[in-house]
Amino acid sequence: MNKAYEASNPGGPHAAVTAQTGAPVLAAKGVHITLGGRKILQDIDLTIGEGEFVCVVGASGCGKTTLLRLLAGLYQPSEGSIRYRDKEMLKPRQDVAIIFQDYGKALLPWRTARGNVALALEAIGAPRATRDARIEELLAKVGLPGEADKYPNQMSGGMQQRLQIARSLAQNPSVLLMDEPFGALDAMTRQGLQDEVLSIARSTGATSFFVTHDLEEAIYLGDRVVGLLANPGRVAITLDVKLPRPRDQLTTREDPEFLRLRRELFDFIKKAEA
Amino acid sequence: MKPSRIAWFFASLLVACGFVMLWQYLSDARLVSPVFLPGPDRAWAALVRGITQGELGARWLGTIERMIYGWLLASFAGIVIGAFIGSSERARAYVGPMLELIRPLPASAVVPLAISLLGLSEAMVLTVIGFGALWPMLLSTVHGFAAVEPRLYEVSRALGLPQWKVILKIALPSSMPDIVAGMRLALTVSLILTVIGEMLASREGLGSHILISARSFRSADLFAGVILLGVTGYVSAMALTLAESRLLRWRESH
Ligand SMILES: Nc1ncnc2c1ncn2[C@@H]1O[C@H](COP(=O)(O)OP(=O)(O)OP(=O)(O)O)[C@@H](O)[C@H]1O
Ligand SMILES: [Mg+2]
Repeated sequence: MNKAYEASNPGGPHAAVTAQTGAPVLAAKGVHITLGGRKILQDIDLTIGEGEFVCVVGASGCGKTTLLRLLAGLYQPSEGSIRYRDKEMLKPRQDVAIIFQDYGKALLPWRTARGNVALALEAIGAPRATRDARIEELLAKVGLPGEADKYPNQMSGGMQQRLQIARSLAQNPSVLLMDEPFGALDAMTRQGLQDEVLSIARSTGATSFFVTHDLEEAIYLGDRVVGLLANPGRVAITLDVKLPRPRDQLTTREDPEFLRLRRELFDFIKKAEA
Repeated sequence: MKPSRIAWFFASLLVACGFVMLWQYLSDARLVSPVFLPGPDRAWAALVRGITQGELGARWLGTIERMIYGWLLASFAGIVIGAFIGSSERARAYVGPMLELIRPLPASAVVPLAISLLGLSEAMVLTVIGFGALWPMLLSTVHGFAAVEPRLYEVSRALGLPQWKVILKIALPSSMPDIVAGMRLALTVSLILTVIGEMLASREGLGSHILISARSFRSADLFAGVILLGVTGYVSAMALTLAESRLLRWRESH
């Protein structure tokens, strides 16, 4: 168990994060970022190992999205560095895919499901002849077989998010960065997609970074849960989740270890808000 | 076609028939001297005669050609310049006020300048059409490019799309509804300016045909020209509507 509380002492030492399953894929070292004259994140140290599934929780506005954007290379740190397999992350990479929360804005409304997945294939320069088969395969993988000719506005929210996932998989990513991907979906759709994401991460071996508001979702999905505190955003708690995989919506959520972690995380959040 | 649209079509046809009948009645009743107001029968006869025996067909073609060239010129320039201005916030800040200053100038204000530079030539007419039709094109393209969802630019960056592909695959299709709306406005402006240009420079076209007919009191010929202008405007607008519904099919597929 590797955890650290820092709720009462914002200027104090940050939580070092060490637990990982493989060689580091993404690493933030001493990262600070200032946006619009305000310090948004302070002294972030975070290492994500090969194939690891890391979830990030924290109150609204604490800097979760900012951290994800830094890891994606969409933002550059004001201080410190972001490294991807020991190379500095100076701009976004094709093998690091981003899944945005607002799928409605991240899809091209003028392209069908097929066309939206094709965009990623066009970007990576996949041979034309292989594209159609690959699109069918990806759409089937995310549970959208036979929906290739629908436009995004003909699909439900859950389907649109599946489509965005299919598009990101078309990049053959070795890292998946997900920003509250299921935040806007109903509970049933959410659970289905959680299992979908777990099986995708497992089958592709992708390293995953998952932002969420939902503490249970974080524990259910993650190998590790990182809790952020706000003003300025900083890592305040790290929980290793030693729940067996594959996880199951019923048995995993009833596991005493799950309940214990949930308790610990809730206590942390309560203390942070107090 | 949906039944309601068919009903609307017949209703509008009925109104048009009623209008022609009223016109016939007014001219038969000689409320206005036939020197100025020919009946639809005489106008139609003049139209048929003009096309089969006279120059009217060639003039009509001349007008259509000028209108389309000017329109294409304006559309192309408008999309290219508009894309440039619209996709850069800085360019919008620098050029925007100047655009707002030039835009309200009526196209006819540039006519004297165009004449002094290019004479009463075909090039002058095309310049005036192109210049006038450029504005609606430019403004709507700028608007379209400025309104591209910023998230899509991030998606492009994450996918590693090169800049020219971002313009071609993201910004241009995203701005298409605005661009098409601009092209529709530009087409109307083109037709108007074509007629004016032809009258001024006496190029062979419907504009000069109408002017000459009016001067020589051949009102039936004048009306034949006006009818052809109406047909041209109507058919080109219809064609654009058709192209629009194919191009923007994704918008109505709820
Ligand atoms: N480009 C920017 N310029 C200035 N301030 C910014 C910028 N982006 C984010 N911020 C600020 O940084 C803080 C953290 O934002 P961020 O979006 O990372 O929060 P978050 O944890 O993702 O919140 P939420 O859970 O609501 O999505 C917020 O206070 C936000 O106003
Ligand atoms: Mg966020």
